[in-house]
Amino acid sequence: MNFDLTEEQQLLEDSVARFVADKYPLEQRRKLADGSRGYSEDHWKAFAELGWLAVPFDEDDGGIGGGPVETMVVMEQFGRGLVLEPYLPTVILGGGVLRRTLAGDQRADLLGKLIEGKLQLAFAHSEEQARWDLNDVTSSAREDGDGWILNGAKTVVFNGGNADLLIVSARNSGGQMDTDGISLFLVDPKADGVKVESYPTVDGLRAAEVTLKDVRVAGDALLGDAGKAWPIIEAVADEALLALCAEALGSLDVMVKDTVQYTQERQQFGHPLADFQTVQHRLVEMFMEYEQCKSLVYRATMEYAQNGHEAARTLSACKHLIGTAGKFIGENAVQLHGGMGVTEELRLGHFFKRQLVIESQFGNSDFHLEQFAA
Amino acid sequence: MDIELSADDLKFRDEVREFFQSHDYKPGEDYAKWRLDWFKAAREKGGWDVPKWPQEFGGPGWSPTQHYIWEQETARANLPWDLPFGVGMVAPIIMTYGSKEQQERFLPDIRARSVNWCQGYSEPGAGSDLASLKTKAELTEDGKHYVVNGSKIWTTMAHIADWIFCLTRTDSSGKKQEGITFLLFPMKQEGIEVKPIITLGGSHTVNTVHFTDVKVPVENRIGEEGKGWTYAKGLLAHERTGLAGVSRSLVALEKLKHQAGTVKRGNGSLFDDPSFRGKLAKLEVDLQALEFTELRSLARAASGQQPGPESSILKLKGTEIQQRIAHLTMEAAGPHMAPWGGVNAGPKFARGGTQSYLGSRAYTIYGGASEVQKDIIAKNVLGIRSQGGSN
Ligand SMILES: Cc1cc2nc3c(=O)[nH]c(=O)nc-3n(C[C@H](O)[C@H](O)[C@H](O)COP(=O)(O)OP(=O)(O)OC[C@H]3O[C@@H](n4cnc5c(N)ncnc54)[C@H](O)[C@@H]3O)c2cc1C
Repeated sequence: MNFDLTEEQQLLEDSVARFVADKYPLEQRRKLADGSRGYSEDHWKAFAELGWLAVPFDEDDGGIGGGPVETMVVMEQFGRGLVLEPYLPTVILGGGVLRRTLAGDQRADLLGKLIEGKLQLAFAHSEEQARWDLNDVTSSAREDGDGWILNGAKTVVFNGGNADLLIVSARNSGGQMDTDGISLFLVDPKADGVKVESYPTVDGLRAAEVTLKDVRVAGDALLGDAGKAWPIIEAVADEALLALCAEALGSLDVMVKDTVQYTQERQQFGHPLADFQTVQHRLVEMFMEYEQCKSLVYRATMEYAQNGHEAARTLSACKHLIGTAGKFIGENAVQLHGGMGVTEELRLGHFFKRQLVIESQFGNSDFHLEQFAA
Repeated sequence: MDIELSADDLKFRDEVREFFQSHDYKPGEDYAKWRLDWFKAAREKGGWDVPKWPQEFGGPGWSPTQHYIWEQETARANLPWDLPFGVGMVAPIIMTYGSKEQQERFLPDIRARSVNWCQGYSEPGAGSDLASLKTKAELTEDGKHYVVNGSKIWTTMAHIADWIFCLTRTDSSGKKQEGITFLLFPMKQEGIEVKPIITLGGSHTVNTVHFTDVKVPVENRIGEEGKGWTYAKGLLAHERTGLAGVSRSLVALEKLKHQAGTVKRGNGSLFDDPSFRGKLAKLEVDLQALEFTELRSLARAASGQQPGPESSILKLKGTEIQQRIAHLTMEAAGPHMAPWGGVNAGPKFARGGTQSYLGSRAYTIYGGASEVQKDIIAKNVLGIRSQGGSN
């Protein structure tokens, strides 16, 4: 039994932590979020140079062969800075699909570009009616000579507006809820019939609505086998869940610590707020929730590293707890900051908003409790 | 015990409904004109523009039941916007503690909604511990003016307000509750600087306000110098009961049920989802109870008694329920809680849902933060005497 990071993992954590401390004070984040892409291209280059974009890829592909623990380490630190760069859409989701499906020259080309920081991706999978049911896909793929014709609408596609390539799921057979019959395609967002409407999200990130109207793609746009994308979708969704939970963990730690600090500094009635027992107990409850989250993030990450999708139940447990604890910690952190808590001036409010969006990504706490109980 | 409305009450309810219907805003109409016309028509009904004012000041003199009916009906109706600071907050103070001249000078404009007010109580160092406020008011040698210096924070709508009612310190030698003086003065004058504070929903409603040598004539002082705390405290209690919002919550819950019904889940809707439905039901249970807590408090007032213990929990429970409704509305939007800023993505109600939730976090902070409210109940209702906390 050992919960310590290896030397390499520790080095990775230190380097991401340094970057976040250096580049992500609130003011700088605000500027980036308001900029044209909503993140910094220089940062992305730095990610490539520091090898972070290579983390989950095999050494044969030019990666560093990291596993779930390495991803957790990176995402937790990103969570501490509310990092805007689209690591989840491009590396975890997009990269996760590509490394499971591509072969030959196409593989070398695209994974090479991704690792060098020259390729942005978005996973255009969820549809409005599906809510969080990953198998609920109505977008259609019809064979057309040696290519395919795609139709459908995808919603809240993170990084959709910045992506050089979209990974679009569409059904070539089966009923709306069937796991069988879903395919994945590489789609150029500038191709005829593709419409990408980008917008900011409440946490300062960017997402897009993507519609496809009679979009023709070539045969090599199909990723993997036709109709057999389900295990791939499941795998990248599992990894996205883990990444989000790790990110949330980093954010929760900041919220707890900021509140502990603020209540010791802020004086009312001639005392620091933290002198009042109600406040102390609340802080302790927040801290306990955080520690429980940390345990489940570790547990889910390690079980997934060992057993892959068989760990899905633990992943659901983890996302559920991150959701409920995130609400408890976030709401109480805001409350204990009084009026300051509801402003955009303190970083706390921005962490709070990111927490809310994480709860809405890949299934909220109710959804995952249901999965867990099923 | 009897909860049935009398024939007169039912008649009153119909009259209120009829009034709201016949004066409803019609799309395309000039809003500002409609608003003032509405208040005028309500005034002609016999004080319906100022329901809570006493009859001697032009209020309708309703029974508590009539007030309750009015609140129920207004929750559903589309009323013109109205800030609480004039009619609801400063007017009762002027009526109770102001001079005859002050009443004649200020009340007509407040009633006509032609002057906007803001509330200058909180300061950077004086939030929950309001009595520790430091904004200084010094009497000039000739005794004709106060000179005000200091800072207020969280002043809602200070950027559009014409006047401020302000707690200032005229004496710091005694207990902190003593030496506080209640002043009224115009906002648009030299020496007053208003700066916006942007809140989580991205909107600008609150401000910081800085005073540098602002001259306020002594005629603008309410009551006696140094007695401002007593005047303000009476109002705070009044302000708090108004924050329970039971009727509005009942309407919001109905709306949420309807919205949940439009979100498809499997063969049914989100409304059929057991955990979501359970949360809706729990909210409804709590609201059913709170509605009667409010009625008990009203009945007590009707019989001329002091507010009872039940009234102390109205603000706490009421705001907590409002926050839960806002949260559940955001939850109903699912992934579509994320798009920001008038984006056309997902169900219509999702737009604004997240914003409302973020805004609702302030409900348990302003008008007396919940933790401090609980201290007050522990002391005043449960009779617990302790040395700590905010007591
Ligand atoms: C949206 C908004 C609008 C507002 N509008 C106005 C306005 O128009 N005019 C105006 O004058 N003010 C206004 N306020 C100010 C509001 O009244 C104060 O925010 C409130 O009194 C709390 O003060 P504070 O923010 O300084 O928090 P603090 O007093 O610093 O409290 C921070 C936290 O500590 C807790 N706490 C404090 N003391 C104790 C204790 N003894 N025991 C346990 N817990 C404690 C509080 O409950 C709170 O959770 C507004 C505030 C907001 C957020």
